[in-house]
This record gives sequence, structure tokens and C-alpha cells, in this order.
Amino acid sequence: MRARAILALALNGFRESRRNRVTVVVFAFAFAMIFLATFALGFTVATFERVLTDVGLGVMGIITAVLTVFLGVGLIPKEIERRTIFMIVSKPIRRSDFILGRYLGNVLTIYAIVAMMAVLFYAQVLVEGAPLRASHVVAAFGLMLEATLLSAVAFAFAAWSSQFVAGVATIGLYFLGHMAGDLFRMAERQTEPFAKLVMKGMYYVLPNLGRLDFKLRATYDDATSAAELLGATTYTLAYTALLLTIACLTFERRDFK
Amino acid sequence: MSTHAAITTAGLAKTYRVGFWGRRVLALQETTLSIAAGQIYGLLGPNGAGKSTFIKLLLNLIQPTAGSALVFGRPPTDAEGRAQVGYLPENPTPYEYLTGAEFVRLAGVLAGLRGTELEQRVTEVIGLVGMSGAAGLQIRRYSKGMTQRVSLAQALVAKPKLLILDEPTSGLDVLGRQLIREIILEQRRQGTTVLLCSHIIPDVEALCDRVAVVIGGKILKEGSVAELLEQDASGVELTVSHVDEATVNAMTSATVTASRLGERWLLRLDEGQSPAVLRRVLDAGGRVVHLQRTRYSLEDLFVRAVKESGRSVGSTVE
Repeated sequence: MRARAILALALNGFRESRRNRVTVVVFAFAFAMIFLATFALGFTVATFERVLTDVGLGVMGIITAVLTVFLGVGLIPKEIERRTIFMIVSKPIRRSDFILGRYLGNVLTIYAIVAMMAVLFYAQVLVEGAPLRASHVVAAFGLMLEATLLSAVAFAFAAWSSQFVAGVATIGLYFLGHMAGDLFRMAERQTEPFAKLVMKGMYYVLPNLGRLDFKLRATYDDATSAAELLGATTYTLAYTALLLTIACLTFERRDFK
Repeated sequence: MSTHAAITTAGLAKTYRVGFWGRRVLALQETTLSIAAGQIYGLLGPNGAGKSTFIKLLLNLIQPTAGSALVFGRPPTDAEGRAQVGYLPENPTPYEYLTGAEFVRLAGVLAGLRGTELEQRVTEVIGLVGMSGAAGLQIRRYSKGMTQRVSLAQALVAKPKLLILDEPTSGLDVLGRQLIREIILEQRRQGTTVLLCSHIIPDVEALCDRVAVVIGGKILKEGSVAELLEQDASGVELTVSHVDEATVNAMTSATVTASRLGERWLLRLDEGQSPAVLRRVLDAGGRVVHLQRTRYSLEDLFVRAVKESGRSVGSTVE
């Protein structure tokens, strides 16, 4: 029963994005890619392949992050504000089913968009006569991992706060998460023990999104080992499970006035 | 057959904290109530009286500050227990990107229906609310009345034993209101308990077996409609003729009021005063045209309860 309810809510979420024309961002990406590739072709000679990869994956990364934050933080507060949630959580389901179903629908949508953008990007690479490499596929997979985790961050905040608060917090953690490696290196150089402790603590507590970012490696065609990919996937799933548990627990106690 | 009452509450209360200083708003105050299965029970009250708060507590949409509630013997937090409940909220806003049929189907799946039974029930309830012709349209294209109808369909889809309707006829035209009334009565015939929350008094009076008048988060009156009207019907209405104005004026007081009806006078008085007033009318050569106990409507009762409470809208703020 629980699995059916979660699946129904997930598919409903996917349908919502499709009907609300969220996929229009894919077309925006296609236009951006064609324009930027043409632009890059005019200014580069020897490093064209690198620039194409860098720009293509960079645009994909920005679109994925914006979409993940935008969809993730708005979904629950919007349902509460519109009171649609009254007719859903009053059914014989647990509130955690609602969170999990909506979360899965959300990431399913983002996966589909990342996949479509990736196909367009690969087509562009081939059209421009550059080789399609495994590192390109790994980079797209990394974007999906990042969306998985960032979406869980958004849900963990949106489960108890407003859309604005959840948005600010998620964007903040996105940037901090990408600076986690720098934070660790800064901690290593610190001579003040307390500051060192705080920085290292933050490094371990904050989501390390840099660990899921394989875009630069794709630019330089630096291979990623299976162990690294497995580690990144495990890290993403564990952190996501923790965040969704927090989201479910806080949502369970929330009043819908 | 379950021996539990459909709804039982004991000291159920809800307080909200609002504003910077955390002022306490007593949305619902110690409510103890038992609603027997198989009846239509009305919650009548002005806006902000606590009716929707009571309903939300029954559905686990909000947590109580004190007291407890049971629905067919199970607490609202018991998800499985809610399989017996259908709920239509006030001003419902279903997913507008879905068609009416898709939304009712989603509600059915969440309520535990599947396969052929699910499809049959979706078709049945959409037909019941008169939406068969528009079931394939996206809800964003619906009028308010159509949205209300399809939302009622989602409440009915899993054949609930308890149907909770919060202002079900608001925003509907005459035909829509008539249809909803018929559906409610049909549900009772089938043994469903209906909790009807409304500020449309004629609906409550026409449909409900029992009524609770809720004002300022408190239940001020509770009983069958007949009982409540009987309690307040302690007066007498006397229609007389062939009496001059001076005689009538001499009889009027704080407890005897008079109004002119052409050549006749309508006197309203307490029952105990009727022998003396009758004697005075007859002594003055007047004739008694009609004598009856005062007939109050639920609206009269409600207005009086509101006046007695000293508040017309809203909860109690401390």
C-alpha cells in the first residue's frame, strides 16, 4: 500500500512538471548550446573540444542546479498554501509517503531533463567533429547525483519552513557544498585550534558537492575510477537518506492551518 | 458492525500562537462530543468559529493542544483509520494540471483502491456528481462549481463510512446545491455518517439530524434540530382583531410586543402571560383570530446564540 501511494505521488509529480512545461528548459539549453558552440568556434582553434565540453557541461550544471532549487523548495510550500495538501494527506497515507512520493517525482523530472540535455550535448559534440568520451557520461551522471542530494536539501528545509527560507538556505548550501574542499584546505592551514575545529566540522557536516562534480575532469578527459563513482553514489544516497529522514520527521509534526 | 461512535472527542482543544509576541488564539476550546454513526451532523457557526479547526483535528491535519479525538475508535494519527473517511475541504484546490478523472483516480489509489474496482468507482462517482461530460478536461479549465463537484467525487471514491464536508455548497448554483443535498441524503440512506460544516443555515436545517452551534471556539448549543428549536420555543403568538390601538399599547411591555397586520394585531408574549392577555383582549371586545406557540427557525436560534456570545466572527484571543 505504501509503495503504491509513493509511486502514485511520484508519477503525479512527474506529470505535473511535464504539463507545466518545465521541459521548456531543455529547449533553452539547446539554443544556448548552439549559440555558445558557434561563438566558441570563432575564438578557439586548438582547444575547441575543451571549450565545447566546458561550456556545454557548465550550462547543464547551472540549469540543473537552478531547476533543482526552484522545483525543490517550491513544491511543498505551494501545496500547503493552495491547500491541495488537505485532500492528499487526509487519505490513508503517512505524511512521509507524501514527502517521499513528491521527492521521487521531483528527482525523476530532473533526471529526465538532465538526460535530455546530455543527449543534446553529445549530439553537439559529435556534430562538431569532437570525440564522445566516457568522461562526458560520467559528468552527466555526477549532475544527477548532485540533483539527488540538492533536492533532498531543498525538501529538508521546505518541510518546515517557507519557500523563501528554504530557497535561501538551499542556495547557500549549494555554494558552501561546492567550496567544501577549499574549506578543508583552509582548515589544514589554520593555526588557531578552534577555527580549525569549526572548519573541519563544517567540512564533514556540510554536503560535499565538489565530490560529485566531474565536469572539470570531462574537460581534460581525466578518467574517473569505478571506486570513485561508487563512493560518490554511496555518499549521495546516504546523505540523501539522512536529509529525507529529517524532512519526514519535521513534516510529521507540522500543522496545516 | 462497529459499535464505536463515528466521532468521539474529549476535551479537544487547539491553541495557535500568532504574531511576534506569540499571542494565544484559542481556535477550539475543550470540546467533548460524540457523534453517532449513520446520521447527518451539522456544525453551524460564523467564520472563524472553530468549525474547520475541529475537522482538521479529526483528520490529523493539525495536532491538538489538549484532549483527544477518535474516529470509529481510532485516533486521527492512525493512517489506516482514515481509509474510512472522505473529506471535502472548504474552497478545494485540486491539482489543476490533472483532468477531473485523473484527480479522482489519484485519490482512489491513495485511498487503497486498485484495478477494476478503482476504475469502476472513478466512473461511478464522476457520474454521481454530474461531471461525466467534463471528466477528461484539465481542472484548470473548470468553473468553481465544477471544481467543487470533482472534489466531492474524490471524497466519495473509496465509499467512506464517514464523509466530512466543509462548506460543500459554497460557490454552487441552485442546481449544484440541490445535487449536493441529494448526494448527502443518499449517503445517509446508505449508512454513511456525514459531518456537515456550514454557515448556510437552510442547508443545515434541511439536512441535519443533529446540530452543534460553534462560536468563538466553543460549542454553545448541541442537540437535534427539533430539540434545539423546542428549547427556544417558550413563547406564544396571538393574532387578534377588533381591538383599538390604545388597548394594545396598554398591554405591551418588555415581554409583550405588538405589530400591526392591517386590521389585526400580532402579539408576541411569554407563554405564562397568555391567560391574562387573552382576558384583556376579550374584555375589550376583541376577537382571537389565531393562537400558536412561537415557531423559531434555526436561523433565529443561531442569531440569538451569536448575540448571547457577544461575538460575530473569529476565535478567542488571549
